[in-house]
Amino acid sequence: MKYVFALMLTLAATSAQAACYADYKAKQDDPLRLQYGVARIDGPCNADDAADELEPRLEQAGWVLLNVVSVFDDAGLDERRESAGEFYLRF
Amino acid sequence: MLDLTKGAKVRANSISASETRQTGNAVVIAGIVAIVLILAIAAVVLFANLPDANAFNARVETLFVENDDLTAQAELKLLEILAQSGTAFSETLDSYRFVIFVLLVFATAMLIAAVAFLVMLVTLNRRMGQIERKGIEVNSLLISRDQKTVYLNNFEFKLTDAAIETLSVLAEARMDDEVMSGAQIEAVISGRNETDCEEAAGATRIKRLRDSLGNQMISELLVKNIAKKGYMLAIEKDVIRMV
Repeated sequence: MKYVFALMLTLAATSAQAACYADYKAKQDDPLRLQYGVARIDGPCNADDAADELEPRLEQAGWVLLNVVSVFDDAGLDERRESAGEFYLRF
Repeated sequence: MLDLTKGAKVRANSISASETRQTGNAVVIAGIVAIVLILAIAAVVLFANLPDANAFNARVETLFVENDDLTAQAELKLLEILAQSGTAFSETLDSYRFVIFVLLVFATAMLIAAVAFLVMLVTLNRRMGQIERKGIEVNSLLISRDQKTVYLNNFEFKLTDAAIETLSVLAEARMDDEVMSGAQIEAVISGRNETDCEEAAGATRIKRLRDSLGNQMISELLVKNIAKKGYMLAIEKDVIRMV
């Protein structure tokens, strides 16, 4: 129920303009920790610009961006929610 | 029996023995330096060649980046565990490396000791061989005129005035590396001109010296007189052989 509500809310918020999201991979050293996450991109919707935009955001939280896997719009959100887990739209 | 040519041989031999020792020392030093050098190289190679802890992490990281579908939470956790176990393994390698290094140090110490002992053994053997072959070796000759005694090594021999005189003259001539004829000996001892002295007189002096000294030396070294008991050969039983 809660999930459905959140989804509806996101859909409502992003339906105004075609929202852009990126899924990325990041890491922390000593000990090595890996992250797969999904983040909303405010700038141009392509992998390179997304990487530029994500890097400082992740660095603030102590993560190093490894690469951006892909960019997508609302339609791709749902299938990545489970994989991203706690990093779903966190940064 | 002691004669003067023996003295020359002794001196020559003692020089060659010390030369052997010098070359032996050089060999020992070279061997030790070589061993230490080998250890140092081995240690450097050992410490330089082992992978550091980050090698495993970097490997896992590339694996993660290169495979786009490695995104599930469980897979990520698995990769992290893989990296951690790699790091733990490299720590184990570190301790192995230290153990190997300690063993290397021990091995070097043993090798150095072995080389030193080997060279020592060789030199000692050579020296022992020389001593065995030479028999009686005169290392010191001390003439005491007022006590009328001569000390050969640590043996004390009583001599007559005339014999002491002859021995002193011969000793002085030996120190100057001179050979004296019978007439010359007689001339020095009697204080007369050499042309007035006969060769035979000097020869007689030498004969008396030989008889007196040789007799005492043989009694000291070979045929012992044990007081109130009798006579015995002063040598080990096992060196005697009959043909």
